[in-house]
Amino acid sequence: MFDEMLSDQSHQGREPYRKLLSWLENQNLKKLSKKSKMAEEFFRRVGITFNVYGNEDGEERLIPFDLIPRILALDEWQKLEKGIIQRVVAINAFLRDVYNSQEIIRAGIIPEELIYPNPAFLPQMCGFIPPGGVYTHVVGVDIIRTGIDEFFVLEDNARVPSGVSYMMENRSTMLHMFPELFTEHNVRPISNYPKELFNSLISCVKTNIPDPNVVVLTPGIFNSAYYEHSFLADEMGAELVQGTDMEISNGEVMIRTTSGTEKVDVIYRRVDDDFIDPLSFNSKSMLGTPGLFDAYRKGNIVLANAPGAGIADDKAIYSYMPEIIKFYTGETPLLDNIPTWKCSDAESLRYVLENLRELVVKEVHGSGGYGMLIGPAASKRELSSFARKLRSNPSKYVAQPTLALSTVPILTKSGLAPRHVDFRPFVLVSPDTIKVTPGGLTRVALKKGSLIVNSSQGGGTKDTWVLGV
Amino acid sequence: MLGRHGNNLFWMARYLERSENMARRIQAVLHHSLSREDEGRDEWAEIITNSELAHVFDEKYDGFSMINAINFLLRERQNLNSVITLITKSRQNGRAVRTSLTQEVWMSLNETWISSEALLRRPVNIHDLPIVLEEIIKGSSLFRGALYGTMLHNDIFNFLRLGTYVERADNTLRTVYSKYHRLLPTANVIGVSESQSQWEVMLRSLSAWRSLNWLKKGRIDPFSVADFLIFDQRMPRSINFCYYEVVSNLTDLARLYKKEYKSLDLARTLCCQLKKDRAKNIHKIDLKYFITEHIIKNNELGSIIADDFNLV
Repeated sequence: MFDEMLSDQSHQGREPYRKLLSWLENQNLKKLSKKSKMAEEFFRRVGITFNVYGNEDGEERLIPFDLIPRILALDEWQKLEKGIIQRVVAINAFLRDVYNSQEIIRAGIIPEELIYPNPAFLPQMCGFIPPGGVYTHVVGVDIIRTGIDEFFVLEDNARVPSGVSYMMENRSTMLHMFPELFTEHNVRPISNYPKELFNSLISCVKTNIPDPNVVVLTPGIFNSAYYEHSFLADEMGAELVQGTDMEISNGEVMIRTTSGTEKVDVIYRRVDDDFIDPLSFNSKSMLGTPGLFDAYRKGNIVLANAPGAGIADDKAIYSYMPEIIKFYTGETPLLDNIPTWKCSDAESLRYVLENLRELVVKEVHGSGGYGMLIGPAASKRELSSFARKLRSNPSKYVAQPTLALSTVPILTKSGLAPRHVDFRPFVLVSPDTIKVTPGGLTRVALKKGSLIVNSSQGGGTKDTWVLGV
Repeated sequence: MLGRHGNNLFWMARYLERSENMARRIQAVLHHSLSREDEGRDEWAEIITNSELAHVFDEKYDGFSMINAINFLLRERQNLNSVITLITKSRQNGRAVRTSLTQEVWMSLNETWISSEALLRRPVNIHDLPIVLEEIIKGSSLFRGALYGTMLHNDIFNFLRLGTYVERADNTLRTVYSKYHRLLPTANVIGVSESQSQWEVMLRSLSAWRSLNWLKKGRIDPFSVADFLIFDQRMPRSINFCYYEVVSNLTDLARLYKKEYKSLDLARTLCCQLKKDRAKNIHKIDLKYFITEHIIKNNELGSIIADDFNLV
């Protein structure tokens, strides 16, 4: 097992962590725990909470915050950054292709049965190129590490990736609690993210619009990521709207204000495709704005991310990412995929069923760590009941080997203890540049030995530092 | 500003004001009841009946007692006007517009909610009650302080203040209405001491007992009570004060948005009417009719404000 802080033969800890380790030696455990409680108290008072679905009284919970930072050296980061940019370029090229000339299908690289019947593929997007040619303005690429030089992409989030507010809040909490650490480390700043998001959004607007009006579209206060929506609106100085606040008038999108209506140019939407416009998508949706999609197709509004972008991060498409990268960039992928068995394939299904005990099985359209099986951690009974599910509906699942996720220590009552982590850096796409914010969201499984880092399943977060020179 | 956000701001302030008024009312009646053998039964019954939720009370509690009444008014979630329901609703509205609030205003509201949830998680018993009520009222005061001290005095501020004063006028009007018969000249003859204690409850629940006593040097009579609560421009819970604030906030909005509004016309008319009525001898006013009229008009004012500014 690779520990990012301690797996080092010199026994002084790995290089990026050495200053932190010597600082930790001089800390008193009790005082640190107290600071940790303070941070939690602060989160609650500010209302940095997420709502848990299926919870009757709509309870709001805190995402536990661990105050030991996760640190990446500059060269590690640069390698990741290059790989991520390559991937995001390919994702955008793929989306443009799949909704237009479909060369990748004609070239026989991706079978068409993975595209057309896929619920993430929106035929409404065919023959249309979004303003600025950008499909995914914001991408979160989930990365795991298994060794000193081994990084894998676990999944791409090209629809409405969330978590960036935690990246920001974790950093400001750390700055507030341990200013001295930042004087000793050259940590690259992330505070520009909202400004850069804003700039990348308006870079897609037609140039003849002087001060484009940006709004953040939220499903409302009961959505699990509502805090983040309000945080980003606040930081960008954008209005936080719901579908019912908007109307379409002469093909333009307008919001209803206390003094009349106002034109909107960019919608940073944090609602799923299905709930954007009841006329074009889910007709039962109460969240949407009738006619919004028509206005979009007329080119009168920037929607970020573009509807239908989900076809690029679908778990069935994921396994083709290396080919997708080669096809559009002509390069070998810099970041590896995790080998994936598609259970729809009979051969693969047999292999998966035979080796269920060693594999992780996920639903193709699942998220949030729900409905997945972690073979090594499952009981006999869970294994056999999952095998039944697999046999009855194999195309619903994909399987991957159980990887030994790297660990980073967290602060527990009895001192530091290693816990598994993953990593979600955030990527901003403009028509002419792609930027990766130097940092990201490190999610950590707080239970000893657990590999599930999702906040809905009791995971926590850490501040992530990318060191400068 | 979004019309929906205007609505959230308006109601956030209204609900918080209403919860504070309810807490003050409980405080006043408690003060009155503790020295009475019947635990102030009539007073408690009156609040519950006026809430129009007496059936909920009957369903949920086995029989009347002071502590049942207090729990119903403070922490019963099925009571739409219980303190905890109101604070929760206020905070929900606030959360929907947190981008319009300063960190301090939002945090004072959020903390009031967190502490009320903690204080009212279990049924309250009588010896904790004074502290619980104080805490809740303090929360409102902190909110108000943060509001005045940190918010831009712009349209966001105006909608918050409108919510507060429309609600406050309603509360004062209803409080006076429920005791108007005690304010009639005949009440003075019927029984001075009984009326006195009734006025005291009413004045205390509007936090006006000490100030009126001070102004009148201890000589309180029904006219002075009515005059103070309805007309006195210095008294922050009088009808006149509330109307004046409503006019001033609507004038700000009309200036900012460069439009004329029906709500402003109505608020100005109400202010003028009050001025005319004050010039009359208060004996000549049919108090019951007067108060009923104003409750209706104030209510109408609320809905016209919503129409004027697309509050949805």
